[in-house]
Amino acid sequence: MACSKENIVLIHKYLDNEMTLLEIKQFQQHINKCSDCEKHLQELRKTEAITQSASHVKAPSNFTENVMGKLPKQPASQKWKHRLRKHPFMITAATFFLVFIISLSSAFGGDGNDIVVKGDGHFIVDEQRGVVVIPEGEHISGDLIVRNGDIEIAGEVTGSITVINGEHLMASADQVSGEIEEINQVMDWLWYETKAFLSEVVAFMSTENEENEENN
Amino acid sequence: MDIVVKKIILEVKKGNQEAFSELMDIYKDKVYHIVYRMLGNVHEAQDVSQEAFLRAFMNIDSYDTNRKFSTWLFRIATNLAIDRLRKKKPNFHLEDQVAGTEDLTYYSQFSSDEELPEDQVVQWEMQEWVQEEIMQLPPKYRSAIILKYLEDLSLKEIGEILNLPVATVKTRIHRGREALRKRLRHS
Repeated sequence: MACSKENIVLIHKYLDNEMTLLEIKQFQQHINKCSDCEKHLQELRKTEAITQSASHVKAPSNFTENVMGKLPKQPASQKWKHRLRKHPFMITAATFFLVFIISLSSAFGGDGNDIVVKGDGHFIVDEQRGVVVIPEGEHISGDLIVRNGDIEIAGEVTGSITVINGEHLMASADQVSGEIEEINQVMDWLWYETKAFLSEVVAFMSTENEENEENN
Repeated sequence: MDIVVKKIILEVKKGNQEAFSELMDIYKDKVYHIVYRMLGNVHEAQDVSQEAFLRAFMNIDSYDTNRKFSTWLFRIATNLAIDRLRKKKPNFHLEDQVAGTEDLTYYSQFSSDEELPEDQVVQWEMQEWVQEEIMQLPPKYRSAIILKYLEDLSLKEIGEILNLPVATVKTRIHRGREALRKRLRHS
């Protein structure tokens, strides 16, 4: 036991590193003379060392899962909100896709309901019936695209025919040498537009390459 | 405060539950350790530290992000542990039978797949002994001693966790230290 109550207070102050240099010096001088205080200090140091030696116990392995399972259930919409916040590209992709669909489906109907025909040759556009007629004996070389109308083929076509938002009617199959395509559904239309766009890009890039090669 | 922790907490405050599991992974061992040393029992330690995290989640809105999160969390945990100690029935021992079992004692709750080497046994016994000595302290000294010597926290932080002035924390540590000294000096 320390020699006096005051000195016990000093020992704790010393252990807590709360002494000034002068106080430390005075305290150490006292310790050197007083074996009771020295012993007391030693015992406290040992106590500190033993206490600090207590190892750190770890939480059980399933601890986090257990607690997470007990949290109040979140509504699914909120989970989505967080998932979307975590992955913003999902919104970007969804928005882009939506815009893409809207713009194309509005283009599906075309500009108004007028019949539009793309191709060279002699044909008759019957606006009242909504039919493009290729009369008998006529010959069309090259591809033909008809939008917003049916096509009636009596003559001959050497090339492909694409009918958007319409049907084709003809006397016999061997009047057309290429393929006949009818596009009446938005999905078909989308596919057609995408294909056309991509082939344009490819064509554009290959012509550019050719130009580059020529320049070189 | 740690920027990562702050970011996670802001997510939790927005209602993101998944972020809370990240927060738990950072602090679960510390919380569990404090509570275990306070209660001296693995079952109660698990129970109380889970409760502490649940309360932290429920009350996350009242947490001020300008303050240290660990202080706030440890305060919840120590308060719950002290509450548990107040309600606690008389101490029970590792040799006691687990309720509803034939010959299962609490010793069997410790995972031990392999035979422990002798030095590990000695170490484990030493740990048990330290824990027993800590358990002999009155709870108010026990919490201060655990936070200081096992968690290595400053007196100021301990004061914030226990909601006490620093001078009181100091007194409790001195008294706890003296009480431990009297028990440990002959070992």
